[in-house]
Amino acid sequence: MTTRNLRQRKFWLIVAGAFILLFSLRLASPVSARPPAQETEKYCLSCHGDSTLSMTLPDGETLSLYIAQDDLRHSVHSSVGIECEACHNNISEYPHPELKYKNKRELSLAYYQTCEKCHSANYEKAKDSMHAQAAQTGNLNAPICTDCHGAHDVRSPNEPRSLISETCRECHTEIVDTYRQSVHGAALMKDENPDVPVCTTCHGVHNIQDPRTNQFRVAEPELCAGCHANKELMSKYGLSADVYSIYKRSWHGVDVSVYKARWPTIWHDSAVCADCHGIHDIRTTKDPQSKVNSKNLLTTCRQCHPSAGPNWTDAWTGHNEISLERTPFLFYVEKFYTSFTPFVLWACIIYVILQIVRATVDRVRRNLQ
Amino acid sequence: MSGKRTNPSQPAQQERTFLRFALGQRWEHAVLLLSGLVLLLTGLPQKYREFSLSQDLLSTPEQVNFIRQVHHIAAIILALEVIYHIGRIILLMVRRKLPGDLLPVWQDVRDAGQMLQYLLFLRKDKPKFGRYNFEQKVTYWFIFFGLAIMGLSGFIIWFPVGFTQFLPGGVVPAAKLAHSTESVVMAIFIIIWHVYHVHIERMNLSMFTGRVSEDEMREFHAKEYDRLTGQTSSSAQAGEKK
Repeated sequence: MTTRNLRQRKFWLIVAGAFILLFSLRLASPVSARPPAQETEKYCLSCHGDSTLSMTLPDGETLSLYIAQDDLRHSVHSSVGIECEACHNNISEYPHPELKYKNKRELSLAYYQTCEKCHSANYEKAKDSMHAQAAQTGNLNAPICTDCHGAHDVRSPNEPRSLISETCRECHTEIVDTYRQSVHGAALMKDENPDVPVCTTCHGVHNIQDPRTNQFRVAEPELCAGCHANKELMSKYGLSADVYSIYKRSWHGVDVSVYKARWPTIWHDSAVCADCHGIHDIRTTKDPQSKVNSKNLLTTCRQCHPSAGPNWTDAWTGHNEISLERTPFLFYVEKFYTSFTPFVLWACIIYVILQIVRATVDRVRRNLQ
Repeated sequence: MSGKRTNPSQPAQQERTFLRFALGQRWEHAVLLLSGLVLLLTGLPQKYREFSLSQDLLSTPEQVNFIRQVHHIAAIILALEVIYHIGRIILLMVRRKLPGDLLPVWQDVRDAGQMLQYLLFLRKDKPKFGRYNFEQKVTYWFIFFGLAIMGLSGFIIWFPVGFTQFLPGGVVPAAKLAHSTESVVMAIFIIIWHVYHVHIERMNLSMFTGRVSEDEMREFHAKEYDRLTGQTSSSAQAGEKK
């Protein structure tokens, strides 16, 4: 018996050993972490690594032909093995074919089109943007891929998050500076807050639309609600997540929702979030510079209700539920009707039913007699 | 029910009728009915704007404005009618000619109690009523105070900026809620209570014809009948017309 037991155990040990061997082979197998071979890059940089290399374009501009190795090494492309010829697809040998571009912008406008080869979805989206419209009107400075993403030094556009606002600030300087003073922008600049909206959160990324249209205005409350109706997110900052649902029931909100449902292209004057809170300069309500701070509220109301008197601001219930402290009149009216309405309804129904029953019984009795 | 004047030269042939509402009162009712109906029909789609049926009616921003204007015009007409009505009451009071038939009295409470007993089979007969029974008084005063609430709140939300020059701002949302809710309460009351009493319980068109028949007088306004004829309603004899 014992020999048999021993033999059995030996067999199983061999099986287990074989399995372990197989597994370790698989784990250590071919996929090595070697960086991809940068053959072309090394070859090109043998000339273009010279910081003095440049040429003069027909318009008189000096085009530097120097490519810093550091830029390339940190770019998202080079590190995954996408090399020079992927974009410079018209250059395959030395000497290079002659450059036909009159100036640097012309060269950029020609080269950025190669982005489409790999990034066709975003490239198509960008064609539908406000920026592309500007380009169509003949504005040569309308941004193209490389203006925002860079050319040789393409990096992840949102690392750190504040980089996005930096990129937009290249052209939209004033707006971004205002934004950075706002409650959202300040939090972003202070500690790269992951929750606050950056430019692209509201405006979109590649298909950025004109924010001055009726469609944008009418959809705006929902845009803000994306974060401000999110309970989890708002509780993190001690904010109410009911602001949107209460707004939707308000005079302004109902009006806007009808326009959104029926006439999204027709301009409406009912207030949306930004009309009172500001756009790029949104501040907390406690901030004395906030448009909705109690000191400034009447001025803000008067944008649309010019002859409103000082009592007017109390007509606005804010984004608050009905309460005795804040809205006593409304509180008592609501309290009255929550009992009066069902009382009238049931009193009428019961009384009329009793009358119908009694009248029917009387009639039946009379007929039986 | 005939609504025709009783002709003394044709006695006993034609059923005798009694004048219940003077022409002026009938006109007042007609104005109230029509303006109230227009207000309800133009108000409801504004109250329930989220319903697609309302949005079909308020199909363009111009249409919304139009509906609002109709609502405002009907409101002015109704307000004028209320002013006329109250003015006439004051005038009659000054002349000491105001009949007090509509004022609520303790007898109405007793009548209501007896009516309830009758409805619960605790009593064989309905109580005898005067010119206006307690049901009709409830109707009048319910609509009277309802219109007061609707008018006051309606003008506040029509001219919110003007009213808050001297009233606290909090009255505006309160007026909006009151206007919106009271309208539904009144609609419920009129549709269930009033329509039952004047159309289903019996077809009572006296508010349009102005007259009620002798039978109706005896059955529904026995005390008034007795007072006018000097007889008891149980004895079916001809009396003099009011």
